[in-house]
Amino acid sequence: MSDRAVRLQAVPGRAEARSDRTAPQRVRIVDATLDCLARQGMAKTTVDDVARRAGISRATVYRVFPGGKVEILDAVVDTEMARLFSALGARMGAADDLADVLVGAIVEAVTRVTTHPALTFLVEHEPSVVLRHLAFDESNRLLATATRFLGPFLARWMDPEESARVAEWSTRIVLSYCISPSDEIDLTDPRQARHLVETFVLPGIRALREPDTTAPIDLAPFTADRPAAARSGTVRPAATPTARASKGAHR
Amino acid sequence: MADTRQRIIEATYACVARWGLAKTTVEDAARQAGVSRATVYRYFPGGREELLHDVVSWEFVAFFLRLYEEVQGAASLEAVMERGIAFAHRSIAEHEVLQRVMQTEPETLLPTLTLESNRIREAIAEFLLPYLLEHGLAEGVDPRQAADFLARMVLSYMASPGRWDLDDAGQVSRLVREELLAGVVVGPEPRGGSRT
Repeated sequence: MSDRAVRLQAVPGRAEARSDRTAPQRVRIVDATLDCLARQGMAKTTVDDVARRAGISRATVYRVFPGGKVEILDAVVDTEMARLFSALGARMGAADDLADVLVGAIVEAVTRVTTHPALTFLVEHEPSVVLRHLAFDESNRLLATATRFLGPFLARWMDPEESARVAEWSTRIVLSYCISPSDEIDLTDPRQARHLVETFVLPGIRALREPDTTAPIDLAPFTADRPAAARSGTVRPAATPTARASKGAHR
Repeated sequence: MADTRQRIIEATYACVARWGLAKTTVEDAARQAGVSRATVYRYFPGGREELLHDVVSWEFVAFFLRLYEEVQGAASLEAVMERGIAFAHRSIAEHEVLQRVMQTEPETLLPTLTLESNRIREAIAEFLLPYLLEHGLAEGVDPRQAADFLARMVLSYMASPGRWDLDDAGQVSRLVREELLAGVVVGPEPRGGSRT
C-alpha cells in the first residue's frame, strides 16, 4: 500500500521525490496528522500537535516536510487519495464481471469517503476546506486523477478511451452521492448500488459502443466469460486483472 | 419593502463584483444602495454574513431562472438537456464575478453554493420529470429516481466538464444521449435525427 502511495506522489505538481530514508517517517507524520484532523480539524492543528502525536520531534517533522503544515497537508491528501485508489484497485481487480467491478468500486469509494474520520470531521466543521477540492478546476483535476488510476481496471471490457470515460462517469456518481447524500439511494449498500449501476450506467456503456442504435441492453459482451461477442479485436480479457491494470490502459 | 431588500442585494452584488466577497462590508452595501446601515440590518439581521449568503443564493437562483428560460420550448427531453448543459457551461465560463471569486476566495463561496445546489438539484429533477414521463421510461426505471440521477449528473457536468468539451455541440449531444439518457428512457433519439 505504501509502495503505491509513494508512486502516486509523483503526480505532476505534487511533492518532489524524496530519499527513501524519510519514507517511514512521512507515513507516521501523515497518520498523526489524520488523527489530529479527525479530532480538532484543520485550522487548529499545528505542527507541534502533529509532532507530539507522531512521537517525534518538531525538528524531525520539518526535516521531512520543510514546507511545514502546508506541505504536510498536501502529503495527507496525496496519501489518502493513494490509499483510496489502492483499495479501489484491489476491489476492482478482484471482480470478474463488469457490473461487479463498478458496484464494488462505487460501494468501496462511498463507504470509505463517508466514514473517513478526518474527512467527516472537516465536512462538518470546516466544509470549505473539503469543498475547494470538489469544485470547478479542482474537481476537474480530481476527475482526471481518478480517471487515470481507475480507467485501467476497466480495460478488460473496453478500450482505453471508453475506460477513461466510464471511470470519469463513475467518479462523478460517487462524488455526487458523497457531497449530497440521497434520502432514497444509499450507495454503501451493494444492492442499491447494483440497482443504480444496472439501471443507469450499464445501458450508457452499451450506448457508448453502439451510439446510433436503440437495441435492447445485452450485458453479454461485457462479461469476462463471454468476450467474443464484444467489438472484435478491441476487447480481450487480460490473464489477470492486476497484470492488466499495472500495465496501464495502453497496450 | 421587497424593493428595498432587492436593492440592497443588487447593491451588494455590485460591491462583490468590484471588490470581492471578503472586502465587501455592510457599509459598502448600504452606501451603494443609498440606504442607512440600520436599514441593511433591518432586512438582514444576521449582518454581513447573512447578506453575502443571500447575495450568492440570489445570483445562483437568478442563474437557474435564466437557464429555465433557455430551455423553455425545447421540444424533447434530449433538446432540454442539450440546451441546458450547453447554456449552463457557457454561462459559468463567462461569469466574470463567479470566476474571480472562485479564484480568490472559494472558501467563502463554496459552502453556500453547495447548499444551494441541493435545492437546485430538486428543482432540476422536478423540471425534468414531466419530460421523462412524456418520453417514456425504460422498463423498471423509477421516474423520480431517474430525475434525481439526471439532475445530479447535469450539475456535475456543469461544475466540471472533465474530459468533455461542452462548447462542442456534437459532444454535448453524445453526452446526453449516451451517458445520461441511455439507461433512463425508452431509447434516446439517434443523433441528428428524430425517432421513428
